[in-house]
Amino acid sequence: MVEADDARISDETLIGRTAAGDAAAFGRLVRRHQAAVYRFALACSPEGAEKIAEEIAEEILQETFRAARAAARRHRDEPSALPWLLAIARQVAERRRTHSREPREADLASLRELARAAGWGEPSRLAGGAPDAHAVESALAALLPEDREILTLCDREYFTVDEAARVADASEAVVRARLHRARLRLAARLREGSHGD
Amino acid sequence: METERPVAGIHCGEVLADLTEHLDARLGPERERRVGEHLDGCERCRSLREEIAAAVCALRELPDEPLPPGVEERLLASLTMES
Repeated sequence: MVEADDARISDETLIGRTAAGDAAAFGRLVRRHQAAVYRFALACSPEGAEKIAEEIAEEILQETFRAARAAARRHRDEPSALPWLLAIARQVAERRRTHSREPREADLASLRELARAAGWGEPSRLAGGAPDAHAVESALAALLPEDREILTLCDREYFTVDEAARVADASEAVVRARLHRARLRLAARLREGSHGD
Repeated sequence: METERPVAGIHCGEVLADLTEHLDARLGPERERRVGEHLDGCERCRSLREEIAAAVCALRELPDEPLPPGVEERLLASLTMES
């Protein structure tokens, strides 16, 4: 657990101390952000929320903090270390999936096709109530890692578009477009799931 | 292919492209006004906005799960080994 005093020490200070070789400061930084890094690593993992994805996420988690410790001196001053850590995690995940990358059929779908799948032009299914957590987790697991990644950054970690763009190493316009498509795909998956109820 | 007529001077396809920016309040005031007027008069775009909003809302309400058992211990051990 994080000690009460930890909250008063900024990420910036902890990273500075880490760069100077302070193992305890690094340990505090790890404990502060490990859950968010793991959550993001899970989103980046190719198999979704299955056992193998958890193993991959754990490896990404470990590699991320090893790389962060090595790069602590090069960290630029920011109030939160999380965008920096997630950018590292993303690079680690990207290296892992480079070899298995193949053309994504869904990437080529037009916005109109995505919107139709999400229910555009059909009666809303909201009469059945908001989707529950289990339905959302299943829908997320069925998405492409790229979609889970952007949704995790923007709709779970509440990053700004600028922060998400830095993590994703993309322009803000690209992040906005990816977020919109990912939300449409999520809505479509939830809609599909509700058909089976 | 659906027939499409402009509502409040904008076609559905344009509004479709702006829905995430609209939901996140990132449209400029004039664009927001026009998109809002379109949504007021267009059932299918309004319905899609609600579908997306519901999905985003449900996603944001997911609980932050703790790390699975053993992950923190293995992480700290791996970092200690390499220090």
